[in-house]
Amino acid sequence: MSILKINNLEKHDGHALIFPPFSLEVSAHEAIAIHASTNVRLILLKILVGEMPASNGEWTINGKSYSESKKDYFEQVGMYFLDDGLYERLTVKDHFDFYKKLYHSKLPIEEGLRIIQLEVKRNSKISKLSVSEKRRVHFGRLLFQNPALLIFEEPDQNADLETKRVFVKMVRMLIEKGKGVFVLTGNMESALAITNKVYRLDEAGLHMLDILSEEESTEELHRDVQNLEEKQKEEEIIVQPVRFEKIPTKVNDKIVLFDPPEIDYIESHEGQSNIYIKGEMYPSVFTMTELEKRLHPYGFFRCHRSYIVNLQKVREVVTWTRNSFTLVLGDTKKSSIPLSKTKMAELKGMLGLK
Amino acid sequence: MTFSIKRSIAILQKDYKDVSKNLFVGSSIFMPLVLAALYGRLGVESINEFYMIFNMTFCLVAAYVQCSLIAEEKEKNTLRGLMLSPASTVEILAGKSLLSFIATVLVIAFAAFLIEYKPENILVISIALILSTVFYIGLGTVLGLVTKSVMEASVVILPFMAIFSFGSFLTVFAEKYPILKVAEYMPNSQLIILASEVQIGASLADIWFNLLVILAWVAVIYILVVIVYRKRMMD
Repeated sequence: MSILKINNLEKHDGHALIFPPFSLEVSAHEAIAIHASTNVRLILLKILVGEMPASNGEWTINGKSYSESKKDYFEQVGMYFLDDGLYERLTVKDHFDFYKKLYHSKLPIEEGLRIIQLEVKRNSKISKLSVSEKRRVHFGRLLFQNPALLIFEEPDQNADLETKRVFVKMVRMLIEKGKGVFVLTGNMESALAITNKVYRLDEAGLHMLDILSEEESTEELHRDVQNLEEKQKEEEIIVQPVRFEKIPTKVNDKIVLFDPPEIDYIESHEGQSNIYIKGEMYPSVFTMTELEKRLHPYGFFRCHRSYIVNLQKVREVVTWTRNSFTLVLGDTKKSSIPLSKTKMAELKGMLGLK
Repeated sequence: MTFSIKRSIAILQKDYKDVSKNLFVGSSIFMPLVLAALYGRLGVESINEFYMIFNMTFCLVAAYVQCSLIAEEKEKNTLRGLMLSPASTVEILAGKSLLSFIATVLVIAFAAFLIEYKPENILVISIALILSTVFYIGLGTVLGLVTKSVMEASVVILPFMAIFSFGSFLTVFAEKYPILKVAEYMPNSQLIILASEVQIGASLADIWFNLLVILAWVAVIYILVVIVYRKRMMD
């Protein structure tokens, strides 16, 4: 049974495409995370809360749609927004007293305090709590509300480890109770901590993350192995070799590590190789030849004497004349990178063209 | 839409706890009491002076508390949470109005005791005072919907305080400048006229017109509440 049903929802803003039509379902006993940029996240939330109309498409929560009856719709959904506030002068217990009455909840206050791990601070004023603890009070509100679908915006942004742990535990508990959980975040790591159903939503559409299908297939493989040779179960656990492949860059005195797929391209400038990521430049500590060698397994290509490009990011190959080419990337700036004549043939070979 | 009194009471309790810890708003509740005690010791006897304190109470307690209760919810981003909860707008406003109402009634009663005001006809005066309270709560609601923070609310309330607490003195000049006759129809002036009549022995039948004028003000302000609320909801 699906709780949140999104059907061909799309949004344009002026000339800009925020996201193309996408469909998504969140069922009971399921948590889904969407990894999106801040802009996409805010707009999607505004649509779901009815503050902004969608360009196209519809969505329902437990069969209730916003346009039909706001009251029925909001009874089905509990939302946590990053900018939600609390009554600073009241204590945690005052808040829970209030929520219990407001939502006509049967959840005992002690139970709520225990789940969010604020039993010790029950009589502290909100203004005395840390950001992370305030976050947990918000989570507590949703426990009292007890809706069918829970939507969280950046639930563990800037939160401490305890809060992350509380949140992950709470989501598990909610899923067990048959709720649907929908998380919007810009942090892949936090999305993966909550669920293994992570999607990415951007102007290219909604895509399920590849990493996960791999994980699932290993799980399947694992299960097959279990069935075949139960006795040797423990020995059969697949040990994946930990491959450390981060590219270090130097920013002032700090060393920042990047995952290779994040990199758009690398440019060599006066003997210094610079890594470009989302329009930002980071000086690398390696030479171009070293980088080429390290990045080759990740689908990087030396397209020019002073350029290495991430082929995953290339959108177009533009032919200017017979001997001059340009690669246009799919990033926001539509960066273009020269492609040398000799490398064109190699690229064609890699693409399977003649 | 069913009205749940339980939710309104929950909001009332929450706001009561909040205001009782809020020195800024809390102190404005005690201002009229301090003034009343002072006037009482000075031995002020005229109806005009009594009602200046009452009108000030209306502004500082009924209107200002109501206004800051709503404005603070907006300022602290808690209003959205309330609006998305099963509590309807009517229930939210009812909870808040109830708190302002109780506070106003208590302060007025205590102030009347302090300045030793003894009306001739306590029933008529009570009706008039309660009607006025309802009017000022409406005024506070409108201002609360318009303002965005408690600071803004405390500034916005000032001109209204000037008009409604001291505006009644304008009627003194009415003979010289006929235009100021209008001031007589202000709810505060009407309340004073009504009280003076009662003090010289008028009964309910004699002052029904004044009550009606105040009632008209109540109607006007609540129509305004609905208009402002609808407009704000569009944004």
